[in-house]
Amino acid sequence: MMGCYDFCGHYEWTFGWLEELGGHALVRDYWLEAISQDSQTHAEELIVNHGIEGMRSYWEHTLAEEAAEHVMTATDAVYRIDMQQCPSKGFLIQNGLQQHRDYCDHCMGWIGPLMQKAGFVVDHEHNHCGQCWWEMRKADDPTPPSLPGELSGNNDVRLRADWKTPHTDHYERATDPDDKTTAA
Amino acid sequence: MLLCLTVMPDTLSAPSPLPYTDTKPVGAADFYTAINATFRFIAHRCGREGLLRYWQELGSQYYAPVSTRWRTGGLPAVAAYWRAFFAAEPGAEVEVSELADEVCVRVKVCPAIKHLRAQGREIVPFFCQHCHFVSEAIAAPADLTVRVQGGNGSCVQRFVKRGGVTESQRMEDIATAS
Repeated sequence: MMGCYDFCGHYEWTFGWLEELGGHALVRDYWLEAISQDSQTHAEELIVNHGIEGMRSYWEHTLAEEAAEHVMTATDAVYRIDMQQCPSKGFLIQNGLQQHRDYCDHCMGWIGPLMQKAGFVVDHEHNHCGQCWWEMRKADDPTPPSLPGELSGNNDVRLRADWKTPHTDHYERATDPDDKTTAA
Repeated sequence: MLLCLTVMPDTLSAPSPLPYTDTKPVGAADFYTAINATFRFIAHRCGREGLLRYWQELGSQYYAPVSTRWRTGGLPAVAAYWRAFFAAEPGAEVEVSELADEVCVRVKVCPAIKHLRAQGREIVPFFCQHCHFVSEAIAAPADLTVRVQGGNGSCVQRFVKRGGVTESQRMEDIATAS
């Protein structure tokens, strides 16, 4: 049986298997069709119907269940997550598993299209070491991403001494997993 | 009366029978929806042949460390693996028996089927077949073979020494999931 205890391990292995079979396009389709539109329909229902309140409901449950070390910050206009220790990426690092070139992209792969459907855009950055931050705003809100510490104070992952190692991937007002830039 | 308690440091605890370990003791049940969706996606895009290849390669590659443990540890390692495996799956009710020539895993409550039903998900009808194909790919390098009987919420999985059974796995012995 394939279990949920080591799910992140065989999930990540599956990205590599699909990429070898059908290239990056098949991996993107997998994140969209299997994860965003099938597995995560409970997230879609909450977020499309309830916006930021739905995001709070969804991530409060799922991040607690996954025992993620994180801080959520929500206002009427923005929903922010500071992920201090991602349990998913942490599992891969702890067990020395890497089949796909950037596991972290899968989050934007399923969350991005969901946010687009709900009328939101995403500012996001991950450092490939288990830390990342997210800000979701309505697509018609031109507010740029917050400055470090501005929204979540000392909980902002960008203030960590180990944040910039070895490099980060950035998304600005994005909903597409490939719409990113990399900074050393 | 003097009561003495000896606390063993973690460094002396036995290594896990599982090759991949997490910091939390039990997995998140919501991931079963992704496993079910993954099977649906691969079957839709790659057909049954592609899905079987996925299960077999997952078993022989991702789970290769399990094969190694079974090959070196024999049936006790198989039994230890499944006890630890199901202890980490939320909602599982399983009995593992180590016999002379096989390990018998009686799944009274399959945690995946239970959760998918509770969530009102459409379960792919061939869901339970993955238990045979993935486990067979893990077992073969350890000179073992697997027979699955039942499914759709409860089943019996026998891990038998190769040569211990003559009949091959009959797909009709594995229940359609719903």
